[in-house]
Amino acid sequence: MEKLLLKSNLSTGLCTFIKFFLYYCDSGFFLNFCKKNILRCYKVSVLQHKMSLNRPLSPHLSIHKRVLTAVFSIFHRFTGICLSVGAILLSVWIILIALGPEYYSKFQSLSSLIFFKIFLFLWTLTIFYHLYNGIRYLFWSYGKMMELSTVYKTGYVVIILSILSTILVWVSI
Amino acid sequence: MKNYTSKWIMQRLTAVILIPLTFWFVYQFVLLSNYEYDQIKAFFFSKINASLFFILIIAMLYHAKLGNETIVEDYVTSVNLKKITKFIISLLTYLSMILTTISLLYIVTT
Repeated sequence: MEKLLLKSNLSTGLCTFIKFFLYYCDSGFFLNFCKKNILRCYKVSVLQHKMSLNRPLSPHLSIHKRVLTAVFSIFHRFTGICLSVGAILLSVWIILIALGPEYYSKFQSLSSLIFFKIFLFLWTLTIFYHLYNGIRYLFWSYGKMMELSTVYKTGYVVIILSILSTILVWVSI
Repeated sequence: MKNYTSKWIMQRLTAVILIPLTFWFVYQFVLLSNYEYDQIKAFFFSKINASLFFILIIAMLYHAKLGNETIVEDYVTSVNLKKITKFIISLLTYLSMILTTISLLYIVTT
């Protein structure tokens, strides 16, 4: 397969060259040669397209062994998806306030439940986790704290800080 | 394949903006969920609170949009499904952005 792809790259270059050449002189030999080349190009492009349809997912979640750093990354993305749903819910909350007290009473009947308190507790936990892990990502994008030992250390710090700050918020209220 | 660098930079920029604002808002929202309607209106009547909340929600939605798009690009292989999911993400974010700005303006003015 790799050989074919290499050939395709060479032949596409040749094809463009020959196309330009054909404008200036039309001889049977060159036409025949070009036909063959174009056909091969077409076959290879079809193969490439088929390969692109069944390409593997980028981070192999199911194959690799669970490493702590990978788990952190997966959780960062997972909490990101959850928080984006939360952001939309937040905008719904603000719309309910704008609509008036009759509509807002529906939210109040929801917020008085214990289920909502648990949901809010989990929301604070996820938002703090995403925040502290995001700060770690910001440091990485500047190329700092990239050593494996510091990465593991800051990972533990993230967990401890996120739990501590959620407890702090809920105790202070 | 265009403007991926600017998207990357914008994601970091919104993240930096969001760091202090989330510390402020998480504490406020846990308090606000217990409040009555009039108290919440009083909270939004102060211009500092309303403008900070406006910056927070816009930055949050934009950050979420960029993050979800990168996740979709990594995990969804089918081209059509990728287009559809990206469209849904952008539609939801822009719709909620517009609706929140309108409702915030309504709350502040009335």
